[in-house]
Amino acid sequence: MIKGAFVRQWKKMLMIAFTVALGTSLASAMLSVMMDIGDKVNQELKTYGANITVVPKETSIVSDLYDVQGEGGTSAYLKEEDLGKVMTIFWAFNIVDYAPIVNVPAQTADGDDVTVVGSWFNHHLDLPTGQSLDAGIMSLRSWWTITEGNWIDEQADGYSENDAMLGTAIAKKLGASVGDTVHIKGTKHDADYKVVGIFDAGGEEDDRIFVALDTAQKLDDMDGQVASIEVSALTTPDNELAEKAAKDPSALTVDQYETWYCTAYASSIAYQLQEVIKDSVAAPVRQVADSEGNILEKTQLLMVLITVLSMIGAALGIMNLVTASVMERSKEIGLLKALGAQNGAITGLVLSEILFTAIVGGAAGFLGGFGFAQIIGRSVFGSSITIRPMVIPIVAVLVIAMTLLGSLPAIRMLMRLEPAEVLHGRQ
Amino acid sequence: MISASLLRRRSRMLIALLSVAIGAMILSGLVTIYYDVPRQMGAQFRRYGSNMIVLPKEEEFSAEDAEKAEEVIPSDEVVGAAPYRYENVRINQTTVLAAGTDMDGARASSPYWNVDGDWPAQTGQLLVGKEVAGKYGLKVGDPVTVTYTPEEVYGAGSDTEAESEEEMILDSEKDFTVTGILDTGGSEESYIYMSLEDLSELTETDGGLDILELSITANQDQLKDYADKINQTVDHVNARLVKRVAQSEGTVLTKLQALVLLVTVVVLALTMICVATTMTATVTERKMEIGLRKALGASDRSIIQEFLGEGILLGAVGGLIGAILGFFFAQGVSMGVFNNSIVFRPLLLPIAILVSMAVTGIASMVPIRATTRIDPALVLKGE
Repeated sequence: MIKGAFVRQWKKMLMIAFTVALGTSLASAMLSVMMDIGDKVNQELKTYGANITVVPKETSIVSDLYDVQGEGGTSAYLKEEDLGKVMTIFWAFNIVDYAPIVNVPAQTADGDDVTVVGSWFNHHLDLPTGQSLDAGIMSLRSWWTITEGNWIDEQADGYSENDAMLGTAIAKKLGASVGDTVHIKGTKHDADYKVVGIFDAGGEEDDRIFVALDTAQKLDDMDGQVASIEVSALTTPDNELAEKAAKDPSALTVDQYETWYCTAYASSIAYQLQEVIKDSVAAPVRQVADSEGNILEKTQLLMVLITVLSMIGAALGIMNLVTASVMERSKEIGLLKALGAQNGAITGLVLSEILFTAIVGGAAGFLGGFGFAQIIGRSVFGSSITIRPMVIPIVAVLVIAMTLLGSLPAIRMLMRLEPAEVLHGRQ
Repeated sequence: MISASLLRRRSRMLIALLSVAIGAMILSGLVTIYYDVPRQMGAQFRRYGSNMIVLPKEEEFSAEDAEKAEEVIPSDEVVGAAPYRYENVRINQTTVLAAGTDMDGARASSPYWNVDGDWPAQTGQLLVGKEVAGKYGLKVGDPVTVTYTPEEVYGAGSDTEAESEEEMILDSEKDFTVTGILDTGGSEESYIYMSLEDLSELTETDGGLDILELSITANQDQLKDYADKINQTVDHVNARLVKRVAQSEGTVLTKLQALVLLVTVVVLALTMICVATTMTATVTERKMEIGLRKALGASDRSIIQEFLGEGILLGAVGGLIGAILGFFFAQGVSMGVFNNSIVFRPLLLPIAILVSMAVTGIASMVPIRATTRIDPALVLKGE
């Protein structure tokens, strides 16, 4: 019976299938984007740099009373050998990048004070899990503009441990450009650095010289010592539980503690870092962590509401169209009734035809929808949208529900009319 | 003629109208959101703090210079302005860096400062960085005495143990109460913060400012213009963008706008196709009527005119209803997400109506023209 209906009215069926496909693709595209947007925006926000710092437990206690600047020496350091442990924490997968920092006070050849900063640039790490990571400040300083030369490339063939990058301010002061050699006097040793790049950080880092970690440590016999570690991690926005835990994790109940520990809050990742790095204190950098949580929430909420609007539109559209197509078949329904068909049988027939068409249209719509989602993902973020399987049942339920909602009242209404009236075409 | 036929087809028209209204609702709602997102989201990015700083050209600059610099920027774009004056002070014989600032300005330009306790509101109140609080074992409510030794004493090369009665007299001190402990996860935790007036009282001088931090709602290009203007018109200062904040904001905000744009385009395209399809279907099912009229001698032109007129009227009414609903939706979104009202763009209403009319008009035209070209006899036969 259904087959017969199709052959006769394939054009009308096609129209229904097409419009259902449109509505379905709209709903599934928006849902897919909405579910993935959090991850995508989170990744984009990493451009602000590290959102967690790890420092030694005892920092800047004693300050030199003769030092008018008020800068003290840090009396404790983190161990360089603990650096590898960062990627062993529970939330290692969320750590996008990290870098050790050591600040060494030194002097230029002319006797001016300058700070030499030692760090990783693109330090290659092969993790026991099989992952590999290029860690370093290269992606933690996305706002640096390299005005001359290049980043220090630890993995390049021509790399030498005396390669250095100078901030524009210090480069100007020393009159140095790429290729020059700069003589630096540390408190214990001297060194000659080769300028490979000059950067514009737009901040106080423009006064500093950046070299590899070991190179900076050598100036002061600080082998194996690190002053701080910057970490950039993908985090979940804070909520009440996270705030409570951040103040004091031991105040949580066992269940709360587990929930907090197993959610990627900035505070729980910081706590886990503290656990693996000896004698350290880790805390979220509020300027970055709090703000990104806020932006993430707002963006997700915005997308949710836009998706709701689209889905309402799609739902109403489908329902509307189904009602229209049922009304179109008024003559057929009237004829069937006049011929003595039972109400139930008619309803069943019409409904099953429409549902079948809707399912076919819906299936095509899913493909279209996922395609649109990928177009959006690639154009805006340059990466694919991860399709969540949950989208399919949600949209399927929507389409079927709307189809039923659209057809049942219309069918019932038509069946209440006198067959004679309907056949005559007066409604 | 037009409205009479419309009334006859009440239910069918209602369905078509609903479809057009939905389309117009999505159109006006989404486009309103799209135009509003940069402003609303941009304001959210101010949580990252100041995106412009004003530094002294030489040693320091005056409060008047700071005011002049701030005046360059339209006041409705200044989210926060915080002047800072730094001095070395002592607590319990050890040196600590004190910052004098305008508390309201600091709070507005650095929203991420997390204060356990309260911000200082009166004279004699102190905001202590977490690191400093830990070092001295300070809690909210504790009293603390801050001592200041003028620079000349240091210059003489003496240590803080006063060597003579005269030098002791030169030290000034002020009693404070710790009202709040500052937690930022950054360098602010090693400072203590008091009002500029308190710092002046403590140091017994009206010192100059060391930096002015500004949080401004403007994109990178506008910020650069403001910075240039300040550098040209105000002496003694050098204004500069905080690259980390300004540039990152530019990057992310652009992507978010692109996202909303693309989403809007996709949704609109699909919705308009849907509306067009519905209109086409509505006309197609009246094939018989068209065939009959032609057979009775109606001219192609009059038929086209009537149907087109119906379609456009439908588009206008549906467009109006949908556009209004769309505004309400956009307002709901804006309030729900940003807690802020949208900027009502009256131009959008007529545009939405016009677009609806255009879509329905074109969508009606195609089947009508096709149908009028067919031989009426064939149409009436039902093929």
